[in-house]
Amino acid sequence: MSAADEKIIRRIYRWDLDKTYLQTEFDSLSDLVRTAFQKAHQKKAVPGAAALIRELKADGDARLCIVSGSPTQMRTVLAEKLKLDGVAFDELVLKDNVRNLLRGRFKALRGQVGYKLPTLLNSRLTAPQDAQEVLFGDDAEADAFVYSLFADMVARRVDEPVVHQVLKAAEVYPDDIDRVMAVWSKIPAADPVRRIFINLDRLTPPAYFQRYGPRVVPIFNYFQAALVLLADGYLKPHQVLHVAVEMVQTAGYNLLTLSNSFQDLMRRGFPLGQVIQSLTEVAQGPGALLNSVRPVPDIIAAFTKRISALGTPPVPPPARDVDYLSLLDDARPRTHKKRR
Amino acid sequence: MSSSVTPAPLQPVTIAFDVMGSDLGPEEIIRGVAQLTLDTPHINALLVGDGAVIDAALADIRHNAERVSVQHAPEVVTMDEKPAAALDAKPNASVAVAARLVAEGEAEALVSAGNTGACVLSCARYFKLLPGVKRAALATVYPTQAVRGLKGDPFSLILDVGATVDASADDLVAFAVMGSAYARIISKNPAPSVALLSNGTEAQKGPPRVVEAHAKLQQLAGIKFVGNVEGVDIPKGTADVVVCDGFVGNVCLKMLEGVHDTVIELASYAYKEKLLWRAGLAMLSSGFERIKQVTDWEQYGGAPVLGFDRMFIKAHGRSRARAIGNAGKVAAKAVSHQLAAEIQKALPK
Repeated sequence: MSAADEKIIRRIYRWDLDKTYLQTEFDSLSDLVRTAFQKAHQKKAVPGAAALIRELKADGDARLCIVSGSPTQMRTVLAEKLKLDGVAFDELVLKDNVRNLLRGRFKALRGQVGYKLPTLLNSRLTAPQDAQEVLFGDDAEADAFVYSLFADMVARRVDEPVVHQVLKAAEVYPDDIDRVMAVWSKIPAADPVRRIFINLDRLTPPAYFQRYGPRVVPIFNYFQAALVLLADGYLKPHQVLHVAVEMVQTAGYNLLTLSNSFQDLMRRGFPLGQVIQSLTEVAQGPGALLNSVRPVPDIIAAFTKRISALGTPPVPPPARDVDYLSLLDDARPRTHKKRR
Repeated sequence: MSSSVTPAPLQPVTIAFDVMGSDLGPEEIIRGVAQLTLDTPHINALLVGDGAVIDAALADIRHNAERVSVQHAPEVVTMDEKPAAALDAKPNASVAVAARLVAEGEAEALVSAGNTGACVLSCARYFKLLPGVKRAALATVYPTQAVRGLKGDPFSLILDVGATVDASADDLVAFAVMGSAYARIISKNPAPSVALLSNGTEAQKGPPRVVEAHAKLQQLAGIKFVGNVEGVDIPKGTADVVVCDGFVGNVCLKMLEGVHDTVIELASYAYKEKLLWRAGLAMLSSGFERIKQVTDWEQYGGAPVLGFDRMFIKAHGRSRARAIGNAGKVAAKAVSHQLAAEIQKALPK
């Protein structure tokens, strides 16, 4: 394809892998070993994640950048897994822990901020300036913190001394701090990050993430992410239905769990009332995609019932600045002795 | 009726929880339900109450939102209100809305820690009595010396403890059948012994309705009727299911609770009074703790109202989260094992 034929990249979707895209267990040594030796076909994606990525990339104007803490040695198996799922990525950055070991950088083995933040900034450096970004992480480590800091650094909403303090508290090595600062200074100021989705793998209470403002959206599943992206104009109604159908067909989701997920978002202040109308029109249209789940009238009834069950709709959460210095705990590895 | 209970596969069950009206406030109920959604993948929860309160509490508690839905109900029946008048004045009270939703099939059972009278009355207004049952019964568990069932359960079941003050002989027979089915399913007791509470063990002892019920129960196949028991037999655990009318049952229950409270007060008096007594109590403390664990009523979650086509568990007004979660589990178990159908099968034709 010639450069002229290539579509302009309008959107960048950045994904973490473990516990965000993949259902990975690494809470114990045996989990880690099992994960390390799993073959591509044995790895399981989080329900709906693959379908969501496929739909987000369907228009050909989006870039998928994956940054994962998995070791570089797993590149082949991870790339194969993504291919099996029909997920085409543009970047796949993995952590070079052998190099960290050889350099005696033991803190970098567990550290999230010192690895992910420079990776994100480096990627942004080569990204089209107008491209909007939507980020996907999880609640197992520091994704909400790192992604928010990245977004605010690019938008220049956070000062250099604060970033310095944060990186120091996160035990990033001094030369790496210098590199972060250097890359950051080269990135043109913009405000590209629209949403940060946090997959609640550990079922952290959603209110915990209010400290990061409404840009961070904790989700219990990717149907919820698809609904928010529909409301934001990133997906079309039939694409949301594709995500739902994959979750029903591959992971046992049903009308009850999907409609509960929908209501959960509304109760958290997402104005999704209009979304249901557009979904209804598509669901009733030719092909009636959702008939494979339940008869369409049942589905519509279940969702409208969830809306009518609510009292006064809650107000969407207000925008707020993030006070990173008060959130330093979130920047440390989960098992860090200083983390409360 | 089958003599043993075959474990049914865990099919999805939705339990409605009346979030309002408990002594400890809605947060305690919500905490219990939140934990339930984490522990039991087959139980879905329908929370009924003040939507804003529920949303605020849920946002701060670890839970699985895929298994929770909320129905806003703007009114509450408080503990000190007269049930009938309160329900008439507040048609959108949480307990009434919850009962209506269960009747409409939005959930399969109801759990409430609110005003008992309002709960029972809501069930009576929205649920249907099973064919062959004329009056519902409120059952409760009581810790006993004897243990029973596959789980070594120390609790016996007493019913009725307040739903039907004046029960006929046929009502008592129906209570016996309902209690037996409940004990079989919930306590995993394949053949629970059932007794009538009276003022003597002989068949002719007691008021005419008890004597008549005794005769009818002796003829009834499918339950293990062991005759009459006296009040003293309740804490001994002579029978697994003790049947009486709501007036007697309620007096009994309150007396047993009074004895329990008095013993606690005496122990606390002894603890303060003499150093020697205090030392003695301290030496016994591990034994007391063990007894407390074994007789922990919270594991049962609450008292079932039996006789309706839908299950209702009345949790204690002071129920903590654990008790609420367990009430949900008991309700789900009763639904999964089709308690209503089991009762109906065993009723005299």
